Amino acid sequence: MSASQLVENFFRHEYGRLVSTLVRRVGVKNIEVVEDSVQSALMTALEIWKVAELPNNPSAWLFRVAHNELMGELRQRTRRRRILTLNAVNNFGAPENGPELFLTGEVQDDLLRMLFVCCNEGIPAQSQLVLALKTLCGFDIREISHRLFISEENAYKRLSRARNRLRELPPYFDELAGEHYQSRLPAVRKIIYLLFTEGYLSSHAEMAIRRELCSEAKRLATILAEHPVGQDAETFALLALIYLHSARMTARQDASGGLLLLEEQNRNLWDQEEIKIGLMWLAKSAQGNVYSRYHAEAGIAAEHCLAPSFHKTRWESVVECYMLLERIEPSPIHKLNCAIAIAEWKGSAAGLAVLEGLEPPTWLAGSYMWSAVLADLHRRCGHTQEANQYQKLAFNLAPTPAIKELLQRRFQSISSISSISSIQMICHD
Amino acid sequence: MSKFLCIQRSLPGGNDDGPSPTQMQEMYAKFGAWQKKFKENLVDMGGKLGAGRLVTVEPMPDGPFVEIKELVGGYMIVSAKNLEEAIMVARECPGLVGPGSGVEVIEIHTP
Repeated sequence: MSASQLVENFFRHEYGRLVSTLVRRVGVKNIEVVEDSVQSALMTALEIWKVAELPNNPSAWLFRVAHNELMGELRQRTRRRRILTLNAVNNFGAPENGPELFLTGEVQDDLLRMLFVCCNEGIPAQSQLVLALKTLCGFDIREISHRLFISEENAYKRLSRARNRLRELPPYFDELAGEHYQSRLPAVRKIIYLLFTEGYLSSHAEMAIRRELCSEAKRLATILAEHPVGQDAETFALLALIYLHSARMTARQDASGGLLLLEEQNRNLWDQEEIKIGLMWLAKSAQGNVYSRYHAEAGIAAEHCLAPSFHKTRWESVVECYMLLERIEPSPIHKLNCAIAIAEWKGSAAGLAVLEGLEPPTWLAGSYMWSAVLADLHRRCGHTQEANQYQKLAFNLAPTPAIKELLQRRFQSISSISSISSIQMICHD
Repeated sequence: MSKFLCIQRSLPGGNDDGPSPTQMQEMYAKFGAWQKKFKENLVDMGGKLGAGRLVTVEPMPDGPFVEIKELVGGYMIVSAKNLEEAIMVARECPGLVGPGSGVEVIEIHTP
């Protein structure tokens, strides 16, 4: 036996598949028993596969073990409580529910269904995200807290909130009808977007970990885009956006893990294969009559990917996308990004004019980004006093050494007129 | 070469939740590498230990053995020049020696 016999992330993805499939069979209110059974099946597999040959079909093997474990546990519970609920034992063990019904196509459906279950309207978005990371991606609480930069306690709280909500649902409420799929689709897309931005934008994680979140987002978005339930222009745009950003991921860091400005990035490192796939999805997204925020953001990412150099970027197109984005989903962070693009296109005074009179909300005023952009634009307009003031502020607000270093470099080279649009400032709200 | 019995024991302070799927994958990979490296030393990969009972002339209470059943995870047999080498093989085995788990290495004397 060798490790190469199991594909990367086998255990984690099996976890998601098994939980999704078993939850569909026994109801979401049993999600915790399901998760325990799956965990236990994986442990058994680990014990046995270490000393014996891998089974021919490890997934099917795992499903059988987890299924048996779950049935045993549920029977025992029912016996203990002497309660037969709708979801419980009465129809288990019937041939149509047997393990032999473990089909690959069905698994994709189950994963997708679970994604929609996670996006229950009664669960706050942050809890939905934790629930999805736990049940679909197979991360444990410690790993989730590490990846989302929240405390374990906080991650646990969010998960409990989600689980409590699911438990409150009346039996069979989690049978999703067609209209649920329709009404939850935006939330599902948002959770995938959130997952991606958590990985892509966080400046203080290891590269490997951030990549992992991004590829999970890619995996779920692809399942969504390939299924009739999620196949629409907005989903395609989301997938395009994910590919077009992730293509540039490697180039965003230097060898020692420091962040690089867009101008400094080696464009040869951009993944042409991913750009190609991204553009394909972008083309597919240009249909119907909905122009979503994902369209706008994918459009911006595409402009950057297609520009032969920083100076040859078609800033007018970037500005246009930001204008559209601002109209679809007004946010001062879009204005801020737009100001940067306008400064590149029409000069720094024009960029500054966009921000004139804009009162940033507390979260933005308290972020280094706001001060950094203003310091930059003021400096380039020759307003030394304002520039110094904002520069100092930006420096104090920089959340990590990597960003501090980036700002330092940026402010030092300011005479060589460039932009800081490289600090990817797409903000997740 | 002598043979050594390695018994896995749970120690206080272990992780109650068990490893995450990511960690399991790592353990699986590391275990494969470890097995390859010490192919010569691994006589019997052993296995998990189930329920047991001490048999004596006098009937014994089940008491203390319940605890033992929970504490002892599994066994394996390695061959090594001496105790130190056997300990080295056991120490490098992924998941055997770590927080909450230790291994007892006992030489097996054969006449």
